[in-house]
Amino acid sequence: MAVIPFHRVNVMTGIKAARVIEDPSQYADFIQKAKRPLLVLGPLLSQWSLDGKLLIEYALEIAKAANIPICATAQVKGKLTELGVKPDSVYDAVEIVNALKDPDWRGVRKEGNHDLVLFFGIRSDLEEQCLSVLKHFAFTHLKTMTFDKYYFPNANYSLPNFRKDKQWKAFLESLIDDLKKGG
Amino acid sequence: MAEVKALTKKEEEIRRLIKAEIPWERVGPTPMPEIPDLRPWDMRLLKTYKPWYAPFCDLCCLCTYGKCDLTENRRGACGLNIETQQARLILLACLMGCSAHAAHAGHILEHLIEKHGPDKRINLGTFIEVEAPNIRTVTGLKPETLGDLKTVIEYVYKEITHLLDSTNSGQEGSYLDYESKALHAGMLDHVAMEVADIAQIVGFNFPTSVADTPLVDMGWNSVDKSKPVILLVGHNPATSCTLIDYLRENGLYDKIEVAGICCTALETTRYSDRAKIVGPLSRQLFFIRTGIADVILTDEQCIRTDMPIEADKVGSRVIACVDKVMYGLDDATDWGTEEIVKQMVEEKKHFAILDTHKAAEVAAKVALEIAPQRRKEWLTEEEAMETAKKCTNCGMCEMVCPNLFSIGDGITEGAKGNFDLIRQQFNLCIGCGKCEQECPNHVPIFKIMQVAASKETWKIRAGRGAIMDTEIRNVGAPITLGTIPGVVAFVGCSNYPDIEDVADMVDEFARRKYIVVLTGCAAMVAGMKKDKDGKTVYEKYPPDFDAGGVVNVGSCVANSHITGAAIKIANIFAALPLRANYEVMADYVLNRVGACGVAWGAMSQKAAAIGTGCNRLGVPVILGPHSSKYRRLYLSRKEEDDWRVMDARKREIVDSGEPSPEHLAYVCETKEKAMVMIPKLCIRKNDTPQGRAIKLNHYISLYKKYMGGGLPEDLHLFIRRDPDIPLVYKKEVREHLKQIGWKPKEPVGLPTLIGTYPSKVPLDAVIH
Repeated sequence: MAVIPFHRVNVMTGIKAARVIEDPSQYADFIQKAKRPLLVLGPLLSQWSLDGKLLIEYALEIAKAANIPICATAQVKGKLTELGVKPDSVYDAVEIVNALKDPDWRGVRKEGNHDLVLFFGIRSDLEEQCLSVLKHFAFTHLKTMTFDKYYFPNANYSLPNFRKDKQWKAFLESLIDDLKKGG
Repeated sequence: MAEVKALTKKEEEIRRLIKAEIPWERVGPTPMPEIPDLRPWDMRLLKTYKPWYAPFCDLCCLCTYGKCDLTENRRGACGLNIETQQARLILLACLMGCSAHAAHAGHILEHLIEKHGPDKRINLGTFIEVEAPNIRTVTGLKPETLGDLKTVIEYVYKEITHLLDSTNSGQEGSYLDYESKALHAGMLDHVAMEVADIAQIVGFNFPTSVADTPLVDMGWNSVDKSKPVILLVGHNPATSCTLIDYLRENGLYDKIEVAGICCTALETTRYSDRAKIVGPLSRQLFFIRTGIADVILTDEQCIRTDMPIEADKVGSRVIACVDKVMYGLDDATDWGTEEIVKQMVEEKKHFAILDTHKAAEVAAKVALEIAPQRRKEWLTEEEAMETAKKCTNCGMCEMVCPNLFSIGDGITEGAKGNFDLIRQQFNLCIGCGKCEQECPNHVPIFKIMQVAASKETWKIRAGRGAIMDTEIRNVGAPITLGTIPGVVAFVGCSNYPDIEDVADMVDEFARRKYIVVLTGCAAMVAGMKKDKDGKTVYEKYPPDFDAGGVVNVGSCVANSHITGAAIKIANIFAALPLRANYEVMADYVLNRVGACGVAWGAMSQKAAAIGTGCNRLGVPVILGPHSSKYRRLYLSRKEEDDWRVMDARKREIVDSGEPSPEHLAYVCETKEKAMVMIPKLCIRKNDTPQGRAIKLNHYISLYKKYMGGGLPEDLHLFIRRDPDIPLVYKKEVREHLKQIGWKPKEPVGLPTLIGTYPSKVPLDAVIH
């Protein structure tokens, strides 16, 4: 049965919808198999927290555990600077997506375009648009994945709609553990 | 030969229509342009600012061949691919918007020609000689009478038909050509809006050639509930102005309260400074559900399509005044007034009345009759608390909220007697009512909001219409040289992430001596925040089109005065002829006029048309995060794209290496990001070193303020030579440039795109 996105403004009309992944180890596998993943961080990560820990800290742990370069969108760079982290690149969400569309783009580390793009913390209606762009115009060279609490149909891989924060927290913690083990 | 002859006849007809024999200026290359005429300009723009599509869906569902799967490079049964389908939908959106304004213009023109005759002279006052910059530039006609405006709107109607035709199945097959057509529709939209507002100014005697228009009351609590209340909703002032006349003529002006929502409210305050503005579109359902309105007069555009249903819930009566929106109601236009009043009062019926005089009379009589029965009591905090206890915070409301917030959290807090959160959420609410519809426990969310909503009232300056030629003469040089850092236009609807965003942005840029202009709902919400001294931006800043001014030009259709001002800078200040000379005007604006539109709450298709019209004229537009749902942007890739321009002084193509303006249609996820993007999009290649240093000073300081310190990553791209570096950041920027190996480059003497693509326009045409 098709999964309906939590935010109804993101309901997709179409035939090619994201695969729901509930097992963190499967997510970890996808990430570890990618040659040049990229983690795109949105401004909501500085607002959201799980048991008092900001989501941006989870994001940074994921990036560190799997050596994934970071793209800071909107004003995320400021928060990262506060946390002592220098992002690999600074673009707005639509700008990075615009670059990612181009198979010949050299990527944020100038090593070639990315083959897996992980989205985290962009407001869901805008993130869903970004995913739609990549689904239609970058499907030949990259896949997309989301870490947000709800289902994103235009991604390749998405979390389910977690009803409770503790499910989301458990997923992220387990993913980080798996990535650390894999590293 | 036959084809050439036919073309000549067509040209002759156009010359007749635009009165080419009147030599106010030589007729330029594109009088009354058709689809192909400005296509080369569009293609040049689209080469740098490529369309960015986030397709609505995987399929095309528009004909009986389908549904067709367009994923992974598939084509539909007609041969269409996903890019072209998305571009087709954008064109349709722009056409919906353009036709809304064109039909509005046509209706108001008919109404006013009926009232004044076709020979009524157009006179916008002592300080406005170039009365119709969009019309003159696009069509080549200098309109002198209302009858001339009819010629213009008929041209717009014709072009709309051709454009709409191209969206039929089995027509256009190129996304770039669909974009060119969308840009054409956008340009026509500004022509139509200009027709509408000039007609309104002339026909209703709205303010013109004046900056200091009255400050009028705004806010739902500004409405005097002790009187019968007539609420006007929509955009078309034909009925509202007739209503004001009726009240004045019948001694009812002090006895009946007239209030408005959305652009009709703005228009009515241009006619009567006693009329009240309830607020923007996002306050429509909220206010209607208060039941304060005894009679609701609807006209067109941005009105609830369930108005009679909502009115029934609170005992208000609806009169539909324009044929575009008749709600399935009985058309009582030809009925006797007393019979209509009787049925509305006794049987609580709603009617369509397409005669403005009759509608005004009926509205006044019904309001007087039924006002005494109106409910006078409001939900108390205690009652609201009790009602809120029905909420189980199940999350269904959050699921359907277009602004993605959980009103359930606010209601739950309300149940505990704490209304602080719901008070904040009222500022996020765009007023769609979907939360209440979805609630399984039938919590009356809007009623509870009434308790929490601010009862504050504010002042807004009444819309003033076109920018005066005298103002253009004063600011032309500083804008094009860059010493006035930019013109920022906050336009459009109220689909905001937060209603206070616009006021914050206006304050920031007016304080920094940008010229801030506003229209429509954006003009309203800019006034819905007070500073620590209790002043709104309209009380805090001067109303002049000058550095640090905050200028409310009027309603949606007054957006044409913003593009008109940009054209006037080219025409009045730079002395470039505008008559049928669109490419030259647009090229000048793109390269030299540091203007940027901000459609922070863009909602209806009209916003898509307005924004796309700005883009064709070379004005970049920033959208708010959930205003980008027409899902097409125009983006460059600053370091990869071709930034070559013609240096008209040297007569050679040079690589400026400078992405200015960087994008034409862009979305910012947050207000903070928009604060940084606005100054960047006001940078132009023509800036003098002094002007560029001023612009970069704002870019850097806003970046530091909102992005958490440091220097913008792309700063080096906008520094041509050392004098461009703002004094206050000299040391820091020089060190940064040294670190990244920056090399100085020559500024372009007279930048233009003319000469870089095939065009009928000679290079000499841009040299003034």
